[in-house]
Amino acid sequence: MRRITTIAVAVTAASALALAGCGRADEGAANTGSGGGSTAGSTGGGTAGFPADSLIGVSLPQKTSENWVLAENLFKTDLAGAGFKTDVQFANNGVAEQQNIVQSMVTKGAKVIVIGPIDPAQLGTQLQAAKDAGATVISYDRLLSNSPNVDYFAAYDNVKVGELQGQALLDGLKAKKPNGPYNIEIFAGAPIDGNATSFYDGAMKVLKPKIDDGTLKVVSGQTGFKQAATADWKGENAQKRMDTLLAGSYTNAQLDGVLSPNDTIARAILTSVKQAGKPIPVVTGQDSEVESVKSIVAGEQYSTINKDTRKLVKATVQMVKDLQAGKQPQVTDTSSYNNGTKVVPALLLPPMIVTKANVKEAYADDPTLSKLTNG
Amino acid sequence: MKHLKAVFGNDTRQFGMIFALIALIVFFQVRTNGLLLTPTNVINLFQGNSYILVLAIGMVLVIIAGHIDLSVGSVAAAVGISVAIAMRDWSLPWGLAILFGLLIGAIIGAWQGFWVAYVGIPAFIVTLAGMLIFRGLNQKIGDSDSIPVPNGYQVIGRGYLPEFGPLTGYNNLTLIIGLALIAAIVTGALRTRRNQRKIGADMAPMWTVVVRLLLICGAILAVTLLFASGRRGTSFPVSGLILGVLVLIYSFVSSRTVIGRHVYAVGGNKHAAELSGVKSKQINFLVMMNMSILAALAGMMFVARSTASGPSDGVNWELDAIAAVFIGGAAVSGGVGTVVGSIVGGLVMAVLNNGMQLLSVGADDTSIIKGLVLLLAVAFDVYNKSQGRPSLIGRLTSGRRDRPAVEQPAPADPARNISETVHTEA
Repeated sequence: MRRITTIAVAVTAASALALAGCGRADEGAANTGSGGGSTAGSTGGGTAGFPADSLIGVSLPQKTSENWVLAENLFKTDLAGAGFKTDVQFANNGVAEQQNIVQSMVTKGAKVIVIGPIDPAQLGTQLQAAKDAGATVISYDRLLSNSPNVDYFAAYDNVKVGELQGQALLDGLKAKKPNGPYNIEIFAGAPIDGNATSFYDGAMKVLKPKIDDGTLKVVSGQTGFKQAATADWKGENAQKRMDTLLAGSYTNAQLDGVLSPNDTIARAILTSVKQAGKPIPVVTGQDSEVESVKSIVAGEQYSTINKDTRKLVKATVQMVKDLQAGKQPQVTDTSSYNNGTKVVPALLLPPMIVTKANVKEAYADDPTLSKLTNG
Repeated sequence: MKHLKAVFGNDTRQFGMIFALIALIVFFQVRTNGLLLTPTNVINLFQGNSYILVLAIGMVLVIIAGHIDLSVGSVAAAVGISVAIAMRDWSLPWGLAILFGLLIGAIIGAWQGFWVAYVGIPAFIVTLAGMLIFRGLNQKIGDSDSIPVPNGYQVIGRGYLPEFGPLTGYNNLTLIIGLALIAAIVTGALRTRRNQRKIGADMAPMWTVVVRLLLICGAILAVTLLFASGRRGTSFPVSGLILGVLVLIYSFVSSRTVIGRHVYAVGGNKHAAELSGVKSKQINFLVMMNMSILAALAGMMFVARSTASGPSDGVNWELDAIAAVFIGGAAVSGGVGTVVGSIVGGLVMAVLNNGMQLLSVGADDTSIIKGLVLLLAVAFDVYNKSQGRPSLIGRLTSGRRDRPAVEQPAPADPARNISETVHTEA
């Protein structure tokens, strides 16, 4: 026994000696340069600027819609065009993958990390790591919450989007039939997406008074956000719900209009109505998806929203360029976007409603969509 | 060649995967210009995967017993949200909240174990139902929303060991843990040798033992240094420590205790096990219950790291855990597998993921590559078994096992023999 102990102690001691050779790495080998230390503590970050060929990380959510794919390509070309090294990644397997992606961007020494979060509340650890490494975080399209380490927010004004949708529904109904009451149904987006609540709240701001005074009648009675929600933003879920509503509430009544939060859901609703052999109601939308723009031109879907991804990416890349040059990026709102721990300076772009009436002007400078509207 | 094999302790099957892991690490270390093995990245690697590895520990036991558990992700999510709510709405202190979470895990586990062991419904069905039930429960309890958790609690997912003692340029506590581990391994090896001498067993030459110890201790020393030399305030992560303790406990239980051996026996051949006096129902119940408790722990660790519990927590975790177990050498038919093997399998996936993210490979390609690795790893294993060879590494280092099992009691062997006997009879 004693011999064993002696040998064990000797080996341990030898190992301990081996340790004495080298010391702790300065700030972790990944953090090139010492700019990290200076920005810690300041809200804006980047006041000192950084080299023009630095790495810029862009972490996007799941690759589920045309818009995100477009954003991916635009970020790649625009950032590369400005001379930056880029790393643009989707997190198709969910939150845990996005956490790892953001973390590896920090490890690679990205100076600015643009994040379109899947779940905005679950990246706290990675944002802290970004802050510790001196990187600036821009929250893209959805506001990162539950962390003080968010520097800027770039997005379209989503409450405004909802208001425009609500107003479009009213206008469409009036154009069809001058006087109410109108029978409508309400659809909302995915419950975990904070933007879905913004769209819904904005739309209800416009619709609620009309429901209360009897101009609008929701025949199914399903007006709450949770009742109206569409899991995962999936068309098939919306279609199933519309089938049920038509069978349950509209065997005798006529459906005049449907509030839909986006184009995918709007088309699902239209499919369901057509299959049931009912006349086409006024249906709103959002995102300017190719199929929906065709549908508007054909007079089926009533409206969509143009939130040009090109403009939002351009504005975000401009922020990155300003940060690189050591300038304060331009923001439009410094008071209303509180993420739970701090007010995040926001750059908000105005959304635009598109109906058959203005579809041509709306997409005049969009290379893909303008072909559809000029027919 | 025979001696070379002896250096690696003769468990060639497991060694094959370790070899693959080392090859992967070297590959990515070179391709990322040294980014892979920086302290920050290695710490992240552990923090970002420890919850999957915790699941793998439970999953390997479930799979050894011949079952599967598809509900772990949903169980983790249901427990995570309950704990988050308990802390927010009832102001439960976080220590108690963790116990509360483990208790919920145990109750859920008892529920699933009851259906599997005592009603006799296949675990696939029971846990498929559980997957739906507990996912729904997560969204119902949490209102499909994310709920933040307090800072103290976040320690189990993103915390570090404290700094204390003299300024050595390293995290002292990490160093102490590393050195203690080395001391324990050396002591253990010497004691085994002494016992062998006492009972007059056939012993490996002294130099192989020494070389082997030097290799293992060198590796531990290198890893310790890596963890200890990160930015000040960082160290070996707390989540890694939890994982390490669990690995030690479960390796011991599965290979050296009666109950552990019974799990292998039930999975290898249920009827033979029952005839030998193994209470198979009890074993099945315990295995399923244990899985849910570990899933609860994994869920809580993830929530702590994410700083919030959300409605999509745990999606696809069961697949990650199952993949880790099979890459680690477990058999679909049950009776075969080891805890350490599964951890190595999980690390192979983790390094693959991390390395490809560092190389900016897209999520689409990453998924394809991971799928192929899983398929090839298992195919490799099946092929070698059908050839009657332990593995490629075994063949390279001269073929068959020619030494008595006394020195290295390979945990999977007895059960594997049973299952292989059954296989040839059928």
